[in-house]
Amino acid sequence: MSQAMSALEPPLGWASRERSSQEQLARRIVSNLPALLGAAVIVWMVILAIFAPIIATYPYDQTNLNAVEQPPSLAHWFGTDALGRDMFSRVVWGARSAVFVIVMVTVIDLGLGLQLGAAAGYLGGWVDTLVMRVADILFAFPGLLFVFFIAATIKPGLLAWARTHGLDDLARSGYLDYAVVIIALGVIGWAGLARLVRAQVLTVKEREFVISARATGVPTWRIILRHVLPNSIAPVIVALSMGMGDIALSEGYLSFLGIGLQPPAPSWGNILADNAGQYWRTFPQMIWLVLIPGLVLASVVFAFNFLGDGLNEALNPEISP
Amino acid sequence: MATLLEVKDLKTEFRTQDGVVHAVNGVSFTVDEGETLGLVGESGCGKSVSVLSVMRLIPHPPGKITNGQVLFQGRDLLQVDDEEIRSVRGNKIAMVFQDPMTSLNPVLTIGTQIGEALELHLGMTKEQARKRSVELLKMVGIPEAEGRLDDYPHQFSGGMRQRVMIAMALSCSPQLLIADEPTTALDVTIQAQIVDIVKRLKTELGMAIIWITHDLGVIAGLADRINVMYAGFVIETAPVKEIFGNPLHPYTLGLLTSIPRLDAAMKSKLTPIEGLPPDLIEMPKGCPFYNRCTFRTDQCANENPALELGAVRHSVACWNWQDVLKKRAAYLSGRA
Amino acid sequence: MATSSDGALVQVVGLKKYFPITQGIVFQRKIADVKAVDGLDFSIQRGETLGLVGESGCGKSTTGRTVLQLYSPTAGQVVFQGKDLTKLHGEDLRKMRRNMQMIFQDPYASLNPRMTVGDIIGEPLEVHNIAKGKEKKERVQELLSIVGLNPYFVNRYPHEFSGGQRQRIGVARALAVNPAFIVCDEPISALDVSIQAQIINLLEELQEKFHLTYLFIAHDLSVVRHISDRIAVMYLGKIVELTDRNALYANPLHPYTKALLSAVPIPDPIIEEKRERIILVGDVPSPVNPPSGCRFHTRCPLAIDICKRVDPEFRDVGNNHWVACHVV
Ligand SMILES: Nc1ncnc2c1ncn2[C@@H]1O[C@H](COP(=O)(O)OP(=O)(O)OP(=O)(O)O)[C@@H](O)[C@H]1O
Ligand SMILES: Nc1ncnc2c1ncn2[C@@H]1O[C@H](COP(=O)(O)OP(=O)(O)OP(=O)(O)O)[C@@H](O)[C@H]1O
Ligand code: SF4
Ligand SMILES: [Mg+2]
Ligand SMILES: [Mg+2]
Repeated sequence: MSQAMSALEPPLGWASRERSSQEQLARRIVSNLPALLGAAVIVWMVILAIFAPIIATYPYDQTNLNAVEQPPSLAHWFGTDALGRDMFSRVVWGARSAVFVIVMVTVIDLGLGLQLGAAAGYLGGWVDTLVMRVADILFAFPGLLFVFFIAATIKPGLLAWARTHGLDDLARSGYLDYAVVIIALGVIGWAGLARLVRAQVLTVKEREFVISARATGVPTWRIILRHVLPNSIAPVIVALSMGMGDIALSEGYLSFLGIGLQPPAPSWGNILADNAGQYWRTFPQMIWLVLIPGLVLASVVFAFNFLGDGLNEALNPEISP
Repeated sequence: MATLLEVKDLKTEFRTQDGVVHAVNGVSFTVDEGETLGLVGESGCGKSVSVLSVMRLIPHPPGKITNGQVLFQGRDLLQVDDEEIRSVRGNKIAMVFQDPMTSLNPVLTIGTQIGEALELHLGMTKEQARKRSVELLKMVGIPEAEGRLDDYPHQFSGGMRQRVMIAMALSCSPQLLIADEPTTALDVTIQAQIVDIVKRLKTELGMAIIWITHDLGVIAGLADRINVMYAGFVIETAPVKEIFGNPLHPYTLGLLTSIPRLDAAMKSKLTPIEGLPPDLIEMPKGCPFYNRCTFRTDQCANENPALELGAVRHSVACWNWQDVLKKRAAYLSGRA
Repeated sequence: MATSSDGALVQVVGLKKYFPITQGIVFQRKIADVKAVDGLDFSIQRGETLGLVGESGCGKSTTGRTVLQLYSPTAGQVVFQGKDLTKLHGEDLRKMRRNMQMIFQDPYASLNPRMTVGDIIGEPLEVHNIAKGKEKKERVQELLSIVGLNPYFVNRYPHEFSGGQRQRIGVARALAVNPAFIVCDEPISALDVSIQAQIINLLEELQEKFHLTYLFIAHDLSVVRHISDRIAVMYLGKIVELTDRNALYANPLHPYTKALLSAVPIPDPIIEEKRERIILVGDVPSPVNPPSGCRFHTRCPLAIDICKRVDPEFRDVGNNHWVACHVV
């Protein structure tokens, strides 16, 4: 056997040249300019979110009636609004709101979507039927409308619950608004993910290595965790990236329409709503008050989509030329 | 017999992210009119790339023919312009591929696809093409050919699709048919049908054939001459009976002794060729078979042997083929 | 019952596996069945290799997988080590898998691309609580050298290996739990000619060393003849002939076996020149609507009237040579 063994070494250069998949992935993303730009924007947003208290030049809710409606200047880079609040600081703090909402909603979507989708796909039968019917129902409604509906219904309930439990401060603080937004977006977000995961799992579960795992006697939960999910994850990552853009936008919508985060809590959506409500009559004066937060929100949404596209190409080498 | 195709010192490489893949490294061979040449070798040894180079069908980039001549009826196909090569392809030289499903268009009927070539190359009218298509389908043994012209590829089985492919290839009465593993994806009983048909057509139509395969059995009953390829080189070429009866290259010998034969007495143990073929990116400087060869000497590590005559019409690329000749009997019986 | 059963490690009785074909999305209706395996009887003795041959789609893989209960059978029994596997479920069945393993056809698809070789081979040890930690690693390295690979490969990923090397990893994984019985589903079909003999020899060596019993599935009759003690020939979901390998090649009785044997090319031009082939007409019919009577009658050169109507009995014609044909 020992003689055979030495002969079975791969020829020189065989293994060393085969790059690991992570390395290849990184290389393919780096070669995709829009994806790289998207990633840069997202990194910036996260940095702003984390270091908002340091980066912001004023507290986000500090009004200054002596300096209202200022155009951009050295003191106020993005100008000030009708109450003299520093727009730059509000936009920076808005990043924190956006990141918080995106992360929380994604966690909910992942938690529900990944597990329910994997269970539905792998176990089939009534589990599959149940999960997919619920997902279908969620899908039957126009997405945002449904979010408005949920947000509108749970908000009074949450407020009442906080008050009856002597949590008046909480009710007044605006933190409950975050909960409303996150729950509303989370409740509908998982369904799409679950569908995707299920479809993915259905194909992966027929692959030979999964059958091999069953033949070996690997327990079902372990097959799902170690064999099925790791090999189903690529399109999920793409969907999550694109989904994060959607969440940022939806949070903007909700807050814009007054169902989401309420001023003075800083959100790109409510900044837009506030300023647009004030100034649409005087257009194009004070245009920066609408333009800047709008551009910031748009660039973040685009960033996630570019990154998602890039990931999609990088994870599916077949579709890139 | 007159030479139909002569390939001289053909080299083809692929430039990839990992480096230059030396797929074909100076291959020379000839095909006479009406002759069947077998191209044998394991996966990745450059069989397909050789014949695709002949047809100038190598995707560029990453592929590039870097050297050589392909003389077809005296003309160098590597030098002619695009229009001329198109008039050769499918007309004078036709090709059949391994996977009949991917080479047929799923949304066009079989009749349309066969008719296309007839109308294009031979200038037939629709009716003429239809009539000829039926003849062709009958020729390859498709029952009720008239009724099947309007069927789509998915309505045919794998074996039937391969027959349709052969019918299409024959539509313009080519002088050379290149078949790239046409039966590899098929069952033995269906393979036997196809081989049977090709044998018959070969004598009926008198065309030359290049038949690519990795199955020595299939080629034994079909070919007049065989080229054994390894790592982008032709390492042995001889008439079919010579190759099987008098193999001179250690690799050919290894191939013959490593497969169980249906007719042979039971052997207790097979003699595998240990190890793996070399990496085509970092080609060894000596003989490409060196790391797996049981006849190797120091010379083999440093110098790559060229094809030299070992017997009548029998060339071999090995420094020690005379040693192989001496020890072969012992090798065969000792291991058997 | 086909073949004697004393000393049998595996005894298969009336095994059927139908795959339903359904229509509709919300309310799925079954409209037909793919009768992939339609009533098999055979047994495998301890230490024996039973070869299973037949054309693509005749139900070989389905048989292998149903025997191992990877598909739940539509009917029939699989008695393994005295227990009827079809009656076992959940944890009992999972524990039983320690004694029966499988080797797959496609060395690229059958290894999880995201696990290291060490994890791939070590997983069976872990899930059957055989070894953990350092002990597991040692056992994995031992297994690697048993199948002729370098023990230092434990931290590499499957993509770093060639097809033949991957197949060895698959063999090591199947061996890890010291099984009594291994289903080998075309373990060399995807490999290069020059590599096939390496794996065949390995499987033979291991059988001797560890007293393994194999169900060896293949479509290549020369390989099956080389490795098997007895051979079963399948056609469209049924076994048509089953006997000792020498008897099968020297004295094939079923017309399908004869045609199959004559279709196998022999790498010898002189023999090929003289050989008379039985060329079967047409293709294998669909297992959804198999022909009436004998399933082979649509292609059989010897078919007589009764073949169209009556399904021939699978019977012993002497010397444990089983065949299902009216003409024999
Ligand atoms: N488009 C390509 N890009 C890079 N390398 C290629 C390309 N096409 C072929 N090659 C390489 O060229 C070599 C020869 O390939 P070829 O297809 O001729 O092999 P083959 O002998 O036909 O094998 P098979 O029996 O598998 O068909 C292989 O190593 C292959 O990896
Ligand atoms: N999961 C499945 N669902 C539905 N039909 C199936 C399934 N698996 C197999 N079949 C069908 O059952 C029949 C037998 O398939 P099987 O894979 O057992 O054949 P096989 O003899 O192993 O063929 P091959 O040599 O191609 O591997 C085929 O007609 C196939 O299409
Ligand atoms: S040249 Fe040397 S290494 Fe190459 S095949 Fe001949 S003996 Fe073997
Ligand atoms: Mg090829
Ligand atoms: Mg199979």
